[in-house]
Amino acid sequence: MTKSNNRLAVIAALFITLIFTAPIIWMVLAAFKNISDIYAIPPVWIPDFSYLDNFVLLLSENWQYLLNSVIVTLGATAVCMAFALPAAFGLVNYRFKGRNFLADWILSTRMMPPIAAAVPLFMVFNTAGMLDTIGSLIIVYAGFNLPFAIWVSMSFFRNIPKEIIEAARIEGCTWGQTFRTVALPLAKSGIATVSTFVFIFAWNELLLALFLTSREAKTFPVVISSFSTVTKTYWELISAATIIQILPPIIFTLLMQKHIVSGLTMGAVKN
Amino acid sequence: MGGIVLENVCKSFGEVSIIKDINLEIQDGEFVVFVGPSGCGKSTLLRMITGLEEVSSGRVFIKGQDMTDEKPSSRSLAMVFQSYALFPHISVRDNISFGLRISKAPKELIEEKVSYAAKTLGLEKLLDRKPRELSGGQQQRVAIGRAIVRDPTAFMFDEPLSNLDAALRVQMRVELIRLHDSLKTTMVYVTHDQVEAMTMANRIVVLQAGRIEQFDTPVELYDRPVNKFVAGFIGSPKMNFVSAQPAADNQIRLVDGTLISVPGIAHEDMTSNMTVGIRPEHLEYSHEQGDWCGTIVVEEQLGSDAFLIVEIPGVGSVTVRAVGERNYHGGETIYLTLPRHRCHVFDNHDNRISPNLSTQCTGTVTALHSA
Repeated sequence: MTKSNNRLAVIAALFITLIFTAPIIWMVLAAFKNISDIYAIPPVWIPDFSYLDNFVLLLSENWQYLLNSVIVTLGATAVCMAFALPAAFGLVNYRFKGRNFLADWILSTRMMPPIAAAVPLFMVFNTAGMLDTIGSLIIVYAGFNLPFAIWVSMSFFRNIPKEIIEAARIEGCTWGQTFRTVALPLAKSGIATVSTFVFIFAWNELLLALFLTSREAKTFPVVISSFSTVTKTYWELISAATIIQILPPIIFTLLMQKHIVSGLTMGAVKN
Repeated sequence: MGGIVLENVCKSFGEVSIIKDINLEIQDGEFVVFVGPSGCGKSTLLRMITGLEEVSSGRVFIKGQDMTDEKPSSRSLAMVFQSYALFPHISVRDNISFGLRISKAPKELIEEKVSYAAKTLGLEKLLDRKPRELSGGQQQRVAIGRAIVRDPTAFMFDEPLSNLDAALRVQMRVELIRLHDSLKTTMVYVTHDQVEAMTMANRIVVLQAGRIEQFDTPVELYDRPVNKFVAGFIGSPKMNFVSAQPAADNQIRLVDGTLISVPGIAHEDMTSNMTVGIRPEHLEYSHEQGDWCGTIVVEEQLGSDAFLIVEIPGVGSVTVRAVGERNYHGGETIYLTLPRHRCHVFDNHDNRISPNLSTQCTGTVTALHSA
């Protein structure tokens, strides 16, 4: 490629990037503006980044919902992984009748859109007196992610050479010890990949949270959606809230990145 | 006693029968090698002893105890895999001590055993490395180290040297023989390499299609193969086989019409459609005279040996192993003689009918019978 072609490609790439990142850039800038600056013509391009009133107002009124989000997300991720990993290990390593059927059956539950279960879930939790509780959201998020988490974990456990599992068993390990001391450390990248996906799903989920919560267990995405009303849209609060909303997945993904990359490319080439 | 007994052991996967009614008694301290062609069930049989593979029927006794339904972890066996199966996420030291740590052995004992194993196997400087930082030979030593620290009832080896290069394989072979001599623990070793089998084993189990063809010492297998399969499987290059029919005066008529008289075989032992086998190293050759006259089609010169592939009219292709021979080349005429006492005769069901001859045998009928 010649130099001028190269330059052209860079300019094109920058332009395309700008198109895709423009809403995010606008949002980040709006988060540091007051309402009149957001609507000002000509626009205020660079805001005063020391203006934090939007964040202060947002968090002072909604910090408990942010905390709900954190608890629900971490809880759902932990519960989901706690069930998915042993299930996946068992499905890969135990030989029993109907193993393949069970694995397919687990995946089939993924074929239903979550919203289809919203009304039945509402009725179940209503009867159980669990509506608007953090526990119900944790159960629902963990449950909906379980098929995906089991299937992806299965592929990582399958990638562990059979002889290593057998060696552990010959060395005196019970199935539980084999799982804990050998399989889990070797499936590290898989655990990182799966938990990242579950984390992001649970953190960003809005629809079921809208259905199943009203006050106590409301999560942060529900709060964000409430800033857009029929009469008014609070752009400055939406912007500030969105920045807070997108930060944890970015941090979590960056922390897990090394493992996720090796996880997603697993089996791409023969060792 | 650390002996292993298999009683009427069978294994099938669905309709396919892999191991067919095997009875086997391995003595305490014995080095037994399972050998056979690919798919003969040798690894499956080993895995059935370890418990990694369930038996479909029959019993497995280890140290006199019925272990058929016991988990692998309860059988007190150690196994070395072809792929080494080291735990990649922990150091060599932790790999070696893995089983001891699982059984919650005291720290001092673990340290003592690990340092003994490391010293025995020359791994002292590698203890803090991860398995991926080791060569194939070193990894295999770690796998052996992991096996020996546990003082198991018996060692199971599943083609442990197959992934090593030729030189390292020879070295490790010697090390394993030494290890067996010093530990005096029962070892069961699976291989498809008959050189490994012959050099290491006290006794060899030759398997074919899930059945034991012969269970004997290496020399017995070589000298007195019970059937044509064992005769062809043991020995390299493999034994030459020639079709034959019974003839008058206790003689055997080979396919080309040559009449030979194999010592110790009476006419009533013979059947129609017999096979006469002769090992390539036992064929005598000359430029002047012999039973057969043929043309050397290929000369494979190894330096120490020359393998001559000879085409004989009416017989077909015959291999001759000529030790240190330099004077026979492709395209030349060669005369071959079958030393009668070296011939193996098999009936129409491929079972041996020739008498028990040893390599030291001088070939006289009287000497054979008295032996």
